Amino acid sequence: MDVVNATGEDRLEGLRMLVGSAAGVAARDGDLKAVRQLRFGRPGLDRGRWSEISAMGWLGLRLPEAAGGAGLGMAEYAALTGEVGAALLPEPFIEAQLALDLMGKDAPAEALSGDRLILPAWLDAPDGLTIAGDITEAEGRISGRRRFVPMAAAADAFLVVSSEACWLIDAKAAGLSLEIEDTVDGGHTATLILDGVEADRLSAPDAKALEAAALATASALLGIMERAFAITLDYLKTRVQFGQPIGHFQALQHRAVDMEIEIGLTRAVLHDAIEAFDAGDDCRRITSRAKARAADAAMLVTREAVQLHGAIGYTDEADIGLFLRRAMVLAPRYGSAGFHRQRYGSLTEGRP
Amino acid sequence: MTATASLTAPQPHADLNLLSDTDFRAAVRGWIATNYPQDLRSPPKRLHAAEAMPWYKILSQQGWLAPGWPREYGGMGLTPSKLLILIEEMERYGCARLPDTGVTMVGPLLIAHGTDAQRAYHLPKILSGEVIWCQGYSEPNAGSDLAALRTSAVREGDQWVINGQKVWTTLGMDAQWIFVLARTNPQAAKQKGISFFLVPMDTPGVTVRSIINIDLHDEFAEVFFDDVRIPADAIVGAVNEGWTIAKNLLGFERLFLGSPKQSEGALDHLERLCDHLGKRGDYASLLNGLRMELEDHKSFYTTFADKVRRGDTLGPDVSMLKINQSALYQKIADRIMDVAGELGTLAGQVPDAPTLYPGSVFLQARPTSIYGGSSEIQRNIVARQVLGLGR
Repeated sequence: MDVVNATGEDRLEGLRMLVGSAAGVAARDGDLKAVRQLRFGRPGLDRGRWSEISAMGWLGLRLPEAAGGAGLGMAEYAALTGEVGAALLPEPFIEAQLALDLMGKDAPAEALSGDRLILPAWLDAPDGLTIAGDITEAEGRISGRRRFVPMAAAADAFLVVSSEACWLIDAKAAGLSLEIEDTVDGGHTATLILDGVEADRLSAPDAKALEAAALATASALLGIMERAFAITLDYLKTRVQFGQPIGHFQALQHRAVDMEIEIGLTRAVLHDAIEAFDAGDDCRRITSRAKARAADAAMLVTREAVQLHGAIGYTDEADIGLFLRRAMVLAPRYGSAGFHRQRYGSLTEGRP
Repeated sequence: MTATASLTAPQPHADLNLLSDTDFRAAVRGWIATNYPQDLRSPPKRLHAAEAMPWYKILSQQGWLAPGWPREYGGMGLTPSKLLILIEEMERYGCARLPDTGVTMVGPLLIAHGTDAQRAYHLPKILSGEVIWCQGYSEPNAGSDLAALRTSAVREGDQWVINGQKVWTTLGMDAQWIFVLARTNPQAAKQKGISFFLVPMDTPGVTVRSIINIDLHDEFAEVFFDDVRIPADAIVGAVNEGWTIAKNLLGFERLFLGSPKQSEGALDHLERLCDHLGKRGDYASLLNGLRMELEDHKSFYTTFADKVRRGDTLGPDVSMLKINQSALYQKIADRIMDVAGELGTLAGQVPDAPTLYPGSVFLQARPTSIYGGSSEIQRNIVARQVLGLGR
């Protein structure tokens, strides 16, 4: 069955089943001990869980069935990234998927199976959704620089991307050096310095893959804020000060309502953006709306979540701060809110 | 002393209120550049006492440690406008924040409410850096509802015996003394039976456990009191009158926490970040808007600081200053994240610009709307006690 064009009810049922099946690896209410244990370590992810994720077919989700995928759409992909976001998993699901999308039919089977983790390296500046240039190629070797590659220490290979071509390089290739920095969520990000690195040249990237990554990230941010909000609501109902649960105070009730409104707005915009993506439209403007809203809303909701927890929210031992720190890392990824507002403006110019 | 001499090298303990504001700024700027320890410039995290001590001692020797204290007690006795200049110049140079609870809280407290003996014993030790202080106010179930505190002090002969637990004690691991609010009359209404004590941290029965904050720094501590015995004269003010003193002290704290210092530092950070990204021009309107808000806040601050200088008691309206400061600081920190892009995701300093650490600035701005009384509690105070609304 062609799932993307399936009727609403059938597809919704499929989505529910998919999300249900995700609970085994990405539980919305699971404890976060395992996540904490991986923080600030290298490679910083759980290869066993990565194999599970792959075995469930998530990596090939959007590839056509003929290419070994499941032929599913953005709705299914975003539903899963929402769960991964809410579970605060460190595994670079969206980045690995982006590499697969960029490689298309060239994607090696062991990347789909999860045996070979390939991460894309496409940025050379701190913000944006534009593929960087400046990769030079001579006799099958490439040189240049790529920055902000998440979880690079875990990669088996990198897909170096420029506007003209993609190149697959081994993570241990001679001439490749990595400068790795910790990120606030306990993950890391790397600068790749390429100096005559042996590379397999693949075809030019399809920029729509980045749109998919931006939407998937917006959905992950939605998952983060939904769970952070649920934890906060629970706290408002149980923390007692002045002889009553603090959720009885109107000032805090109103703050909670404002958070719920932000979450509702994000969900609505994301729904429309996903629908446009699956319909095959040029969805750049609505992707920008979705990513800008999700980034700002996630920062607001997780910031407020920490504030409503009071001092305990400012400690490392309280889980709520983990959501703020993950939101800080995902908010600028695939374009910050500021970048997307600007892009929305320039794409809108001249329209009726 | 010629004007030129005072510009190039202000003498230790000189009365700098005699200089014009322009000369004062030049003197302060020159002195900081000459004397500030370079390895402590713009530290990404709040320094522990041992790390900050070189700068503490330099300020101490110059007589600049306590800019707001009266000169008779060893302070600079600066006017609010000069105090602001000092803050601006220190933030601009990237001077680290000191372990300042003794200077900002204990000093003003003892000057207002202490005995002569308490002043004579404690003030010089704060000024010399011999004693670092911390605060024992909040408890696990008495945060916003501070008056619900349960730590008790019972009189036994010529001693007080303290039992209980304090939390969110900033730099509690570093301090030699702590000031503690404890319940001395469990039968009285909750604000009526509280007293104020000064306790050496090395007293048997005191234990400290550090707390790691969201920026992964062991900035706070929990302090446990298990049959801690202190002498009868360790009380400040009268028995069961501690709440009045604590409230008064919170006024000083709100004035200090309402100072433009943190916003000034954050806005400097944002400007340097824009420069680093080559985007100062793109963000001109944002930066100008924030700079104007900061200047407005300084005007607001001056009205309260002037009151203290005249010797007036700060009223509940000082809560507005703290609300506005934390809101402005957090707003600037939010804009830092907007501008930083992926640089804001880094746990440490930006590799090629080590004085930039946008993610840490953002995280460090989080608790300002919580500590010293959350912004929600401050709004309750203003609504009830200033505007006369509600209970």
